[in-house]
Amino acid sequence: MKQIKSLLIAGLVLMGINLSAQNQSDMRLNEYLVYNTDDFQDDFGQQNAWFELFNVSYGTVNIGGCYLSNDINNLQKYIIPKGDVLTSIKPRQHVLFWADNQPYRGTFHTNFTLAESDTIYFVSSDGRTIIDRIAIQKDIEPNLSYGRTQDGIGSVDGNGEGWQFMSRTSPSTNNAVLEAKSKSAVMAELDPNGGLMALTAMSVVFLALIILFFVFKTIGKLATRNQQHKSDVATEGKITTVKAEENTGEAIAAISTALYLYAVDNEAHDEESFQITMKHTDRSYSPWSSKIYTLRQNPQVKKN
Amino acid sequence: MEQTQSGFLNNLAQFWEYTGFANCNIQYLLMICIGLVFIYLAIKKDWEPMLLVPIGFGIIIGNIPLMPGLNVGVYEEGSVLNILYQGVRQGWYPPLIFLGIGAMTDFSALISNPKLLLIGAAAQFGIFGAYAISLALGFTPAEAGAIGIIGGADGPTAIFLSSRLAPDLMGAIAVSAYSYMALVPVIQPPIMRLLTTNKERLIRMKPPRAVSPTEKKIFPIVGFLLTAFIVPSGIPLLGMLFFGNLIKESGVTRRLAETARGPLIDVITILIGITVGCSTQADKFLQWSSIKIFILGFLSFIIATTTGVLFVKFFNLFLKEGNKINPLIGNAGVSAVPDSARISNNVGLEYDRTNYLLMHAMGPNVAGVIGSAVAAGILLGFLS
Repeated sequence: MKQIKSLLIAGLVLMGINLSAQNQSDMRLNEYLVYNTDDFQDDFGQQNAWFELFNVSYGTVNIGGCYLSNDINNLQKYIIPKGDVLTSIKPRQHVLFWADNQPYRGTFHTNFTLAESDTIYFVSSDGRTIIDRIAIQKDIEPNLSYGRTQDGIGSVDGNGEGWQFMSRTSPSTNNAVLEAKSKSAVMAELDPNGGLMALTAMSVVFLALIILFFVFKTIGKLATRNQQHKSDVATEGKITTVKAEENTGEAIAAISTALYLYAVDNEAHDEESFQITMKHTDRSYSPWSSKIYTLRQNPQVKKN
Repeated sequence: MEQTQSGFLNNLAQFWEYTGFANCNIQYLLMICIGLVFIYLAIKKDWEPMLLVPIGFGIIIGNIPLMPGLNVGVYEEGSVLNILYQGVRQGWYPPLIFLGIGAMTDFSALISNPKLLLIGAAAQFGIFGAYAISLALGFTPAEAGAIGIIGGADGPTAIFLSSRLAPDLMGAIAVSAYSYMALVPVIQPPIMRLLTTNKERLIRMKPPRAVSPTEKKIFPIVGFLLTAFIVPSGIPLLGMLFFGNLIKESGVTRRLAETARGPLIDVITILIGITVGCSTQADKFLQWSSIKIFILGFLSFIIATTTGVLFVKFFNLFLKEGNKINPLIGNAGVSAVPDSARISNNVGLEYDRTNYLLMHAMGPNVAGVIGSAVAAGILLGFLS
């Protein structure tokens, strides 16, 4: 028993570690710019190479403790500092790193620069697992960035599938222009009267409940057959099983209430069998049928 | 002495500016009167007292005229009322209510006669009828979806959906949904009588078969899997509803079930009632859109009841004699549990003193809960 408990606890701990890794695995390298002569400036007014990470998930991801590198032989080249609130990346948000080899300037300045032969690596906090990588394009023009066509979508093995040269650089923002209209606005154009929505939605509601209907009709049939089988077995003995259909609803209600009250008062069973067994008794007298208890007393005439 | 007197008067004048009397206007007084009417209806007429007393008193609390900046109002970030209001605003009270509903609902009537599920689906026409009318009145599709859900007769669902689709209209939608739920005994019977013949009202339905404990245990699991796979956006409501039912039927989690259907749902009902009431602050609530929402809510209830009853009549065309359904249970497709089922029973008894429809009506009634949660999920998927 102790061993099972230990195994369970160990399993849970491993799951926890794995979950954390899974969380970090939601980050993607999203865009980079190598030759920055006339593009985005950092907080110090300098133009350097930069690259962007994107959180593809709908949960916050803390990248503190993860690594960035441009060297396959040294994946732990730059550790993203832990304890900086800015390393908690909100759902579907970007974070920009400056590859300027000036890490003393803050969390988001790495200790390496980018060159054409490099590959950028984003490495898990275990220091070994490469979560994403991208090989830098050759003959890249100044101030031209290379990024994913759609944020976070495409390969993670560095072959550049889903990547392209960007028509405009977009550090810390979406690579593609998002749909400006809300779903509600789109629906207003598509279905101004609501007829289409009513038809679609009612079809789905009916579909869901029709499927439930068929499933429980089948389950009901199986249950009835099972009950019938048990009932047949019981009739083989001396005890007679009375089918519920032969009684009126009122009788069933009265018997059920009596049984329920009996069970509750006596705390007889945790779970009832839902079968009522009635035995014929040879005793002719019972208080249930006694006239003494059912007749009103005769009025007494006082004689003075 | 004169300086002291002047200082004293200045203090009093300053204090006066903080009081409700100085900040009062006719709108606040009107809202306080509405709150008092709610409390009167709950106490004197016994109309949904569990809902109308907290909402009514909440309306009074929310409409005490305040000087802004005291950090006590429901819309002032960080105030006590604002913190409690987050359960409504972020939509986590409704799923907890659904947990309690699941733990107190017996789905036996539905399991024994699954075709009653379809009545629960038909009554959801009220939601989409109101949606179409709302669009015609100039609401955006997202607002129309939030208003339409009033027709599902399900307060928590209405709050859940409006908090996501139209937060600005949530107060009016929630008060409207709960008000009409309280008015179900007034709205539904005339429609039921109008749409049915005397012969139809006397239809006796077969007594439901006994449902085994195993079937009851399977229902919440299969029910959740099927509905959630079809409408994943309804998971918060459907998940909690069926989970609540599983802890009730499993037979091994009695304490959890008792907590969910007792203390937990009571606590959430108090919080949801009082904070929804508070959110009806006069400057946000007393607008033309609120009046339109009340009218639309009323229409959606009428459409839901009508389509429920008419669907049963239509369904009966395909059923053999002896298997026919009494159309008086069609109204129970709206998910006001168990009020609309009770109305089916009461109206049925008016025409036949021995024809008890309560158990039959509970089928479409609980199907309505599932149906409205599915409908809410669909609206959320299309419009949020």
